[in-house]
Amino acid sequence: MKVFDLSALRRFDLILIGLLFIGLGWLLTIPRTTDFIIFCIFVLAYDLLYGYMGRLSFGHMLYLGVGAYAAALSAQHLSANPFVALLLALVCGGLVGLLIGPIIVRTTGACFALINLAFNQVGFFMAVTAFSDWTGGEDGLSAFFDPVMGVNFGKPWVVFGLSLACLLAVVYLMKRLIASPFGILLRTIKENETRVQFLGYDTFRYKLVAFVISTAVAAFAGGLTIVNYVFVTPSFVDPGRNVEVIFACLIGGAASIYGALTGGVVFMIIANYLPNHIERWEMFLGFVLLLLVFRFRAGLWRYIAALFTRHLGKEAVL
Amino acid sequence: MISTLAYGLTIGGILYIISIGLTLTFGTMRIVNFAHALVYTVGAYVVMTVTSKVWNNFFFAGVVAIAVAVPLSYAIERFVIRRLYGQSIDYAIIATYAVLLVGIDAVKWLWGATPMPLSDPLSGASITLGAVDLPLYRILVIGVALLVFVALEVFFRRTIVGKIVVAGLENKEAVRSLGINVDRFFTIVFLIGSALAALGGVLYAPITSIHPYMGFQVLLLCFAVVLVGGMGNIRGSFIAAFALGLVIAVTGRFWGPAAETMVFVVMAVVLIFKPIEA
Repeated sequence: MKVFDLSALRRFDLILIGLLFIGLGWLLTIPRTTDFIIFCIFVLAYDLLYGYMGRLSFGHMLYLGVGAYAAALSAQHLSANPFVALLLALVCGGLVGLLIGPIIVRTTGACFALINLAFNQVGFFMAVTAFSDWTGGEDGLSAFFDPVMGVNFGKPWVVFGLSLACLLAVVYLMKRLIASPFGILLRTIKENETRVQFLGYDTFRYKLVAFVISTAVAAFAGGLTIVNYVFVTPSFVDPGRNVEVIFACLIGGAASIYGALTGGVVFMIIANYLPNHIERWEMFLGFVLLLLVFRFRAGLWRYIAALFTRHLGKEAVL
Repeated sequence: MISTLAYGLTIGGILYIISIGLTLTFGTMRIVNFAHALVYTVGAYVVMTVTSKVWNNFFFAGVVAIAVAVPLSYAIERFVIRRLYGQSIDYAIIATYAVLLVGIDAVKWLWGATPMPLSDPLSGASITLGAVDLPLYRILVIGVALLVFVALEVFFRRTIVGKIVVAGLENKEAVRSLGINVDRFFTIVFLIGSALAALGGVLYAPITSIHPYMGFQVLLLCFAVVLVGGMGNIRGSFIAAFALGLVIAVTGRFWGPAAETMVFVVMAVVLIFKPIEA
């Protein structure tokens, strides 16, 4: 992981991230911050694909939705234990990735984005119409979770703690993954896939594994959302919402874990507080996206890191 | 069954007309243009406004719609897309999607978000074929699509501008090395594609209701057409459009809500057997 090289800070980054989110929870209320944390997990899953592997997916809501519905259905039919729901969300996300991944990862660029979008559309249809007896269609589905070992998951701060722990685990695992030979290979595929093939690697397999990890983690975020909201609606699979995660990834800075976290938090702050003041929300979003694409491609995190470097006079590695 | 087929061919014709612009912009400029849906939506809205407010003549309204769409798409090309030539395709996708968001919100601002119907311009006239009545308007749409196909074939095979564009699709650098300013011709192609998108919006408006998000759904279907037909392949998208139009119609006959989703299933199957490099 190449972020700015203040080695002392980097060693304690998990603690710092945890403290920052607890601070946010104190500032912006616990339930809202729980939303932020879950969205950050989703952005991290997305960033693995977009930032590190260089594949822009325009249909990642599908995988979030799979997790959300898996968790809700598990709570209704299987067990009221939230951990079962989360595990099932993770597994279902991975399975969906494994099922459609072989079709998707063979493509690149525009095709990759559009095929994801098409599958998202199919998933949306399945959730709203085809399996409406199971999913509740437009009305959605509620899910209730029992306390586990005396811990009540109806309490906001319990869900907050659970989400934060999950986020830190995901961040830690992502860091390990990115620094591993596998992660290096992913970044190499982003730069030049043909060369990787020349070196004798079966790129299809690596891309598929990365895709499945991404879908599974996205689905896990979906499952967490259900533990938080205890309610699932088709808006969790809505293809129109894909732009949110792309936006978050860009604003924070792609191909950086801290960038993804920054982007997730900044986007959620914008999305939570600005629509009350801005009448033309979609237009605003569109203009900011244009500005990001044309002027600020590096993302917020890199500006922050550069600022740190200038003030502390230390070497920044980006 | 005949009316189902006719419906499929109508949808196919409209999909063809809209997807030409997409496949051309992709083939020439390597750009996926989400803003195409905006031009299409604006076309439909202008037709509705002109027929209800200015002069209730569908043909005149259609011409006005295209006349409005061309400058609009020129502005999009000039200020957004041209700045992204040759860069990562992801940025083009995001930027044109942003344009779409801004434009659709502007449409909502101007016309409101409620769906509006547009009456059949041929006032429901129909022709009888065997035992079934076919609305004349649908036959007209199929006719227009065939006309567009023939016109484009002539344009690309017989005129100098068309030949330069075809050559540019094959190898941009080679054409440029002949001293031809390819990008100017690509702009022409872009405008033609956008005019056709507006035409598609005009033609589709009386069949469905007009609402701000009408572009999203059609755009997805057109992407499916472009992917199945082969990116940058004009004849391929002709065949793909009609085939997928029939898929929509036949599925819709048996299970209405699944009609458009079936297109993506077909697309996935096609992609399994025919991977694309792009």
